[in-house]
Amino acid sequence: MRAWLSLASFLGGIVLLTSACATSEEWSEWRGHTTHFASGTHGMFSLRNNKDGSNPRVARTDVRAENWWGKAITVSPEQIFQN
Amino acid sequence: MSRYVLAARGGLLAALLLFGLLVNGMTSAVQVEAAPADALMPIEKYTTEKAKGLANTHRLRLIEFSEQIYNCMPWLAVYPGRLGFPRYKDSADDERYLSMWIWVDQREDPVFAALPQERRVSAMFSRYGVDMLRRMAALSDVVDDSDVAGLSVVLSWLKPGTTRPGQQAVNETFALFIDKATAADFLAKRVAAEEFVSRAKFNLFDGETLVGRVRLQVWEDSFNSTYKLSNYQPPKGAQCQ
Repeated sequence: MRAWLSLASFLGGIVLLTSACATSEEWSEWRGHTTHFASGTHGMFSLRNNKDGSNPRVARTDVRAENWWGKAITVSPEQIFQN
Repeated sequence: MSRYVLAARGGLLAALLLFGLLVNGMTSAVQVEAAPADALMPIEKYTTEKAKGLANTHRLRLIEFSEQIYNCMPWLAVYPGRLGFPRYKDSADDERYLSMWIWVDQREDPVFAALPQERRVSAMFSRYGVDMLRRMAALSDVVDDSDVAGLSVVLSWLKPGTTRPGQQAVNETFALFIDKATAADFLAKRVAAEEFVSRAKFNLFDGETLVGRVRLQVWEDSFNSTYKLSNYQPPKGAQCQ
């Protein structure tokens, strides 16, 4: 039990130390970008590859567009085809 | 309960939490794109027996074809359910085309953006459309089926200048249909590009708006058949040509 309390105190201390050092501008920036990775794909790519970017391994799912702009306005299939 | 049991439970919970986060991340990655088989138009969506027959007969061949695009050309993606045998929108009869609708994954590019719209269409069709027609024409067992009237390729790409924040992006879409005899002659250089264009049915769409038939020019462009993406590794067993 004592070990758990120590661990909780330690983690709490880290949170306090790291948050206490952020400026209001940094907090504002963080609130605007609440994730470290842009997407799950981005996160998986970063976890899989070297930090320095040497010898990257690129897979199909890494290359596909992230569609960060959302769903683009596109013609409906019914305007082109009949099934 | 002993502290050891408590510690073990805590460790187990932490491990489950980490596993959940990882699985969630992997699922998100997978959801970016559908599997190759999902590119095929579902058989139940076809409205005629002829089309259903084609879809059944050539299903495995089209899955192979979809896998080849998926594994070997990661800069392209077939829209889910848009590889199959539809007919032209205004067709009165049941003429079926081997057709695929492809998304060209291309970022904003100032050179491309500076081109007039019809020039962008010509560039995209010359680069990707012709190569896709060639690849479809190579599926001889499918194309030689007497129920297949021709080939169709539909290309979509981001309209330049429409990916600004706070603005919904717009795709330009070009859809072309050509009878299979003309397609074969054009690909074999027995028919000139101008003649091919005059025989083809095609339309451009700006977002959802029909622009219609534009002045299409077709030229040689080997990019799609020669480009190699640096550091890209096709899955083991994939045969890329």
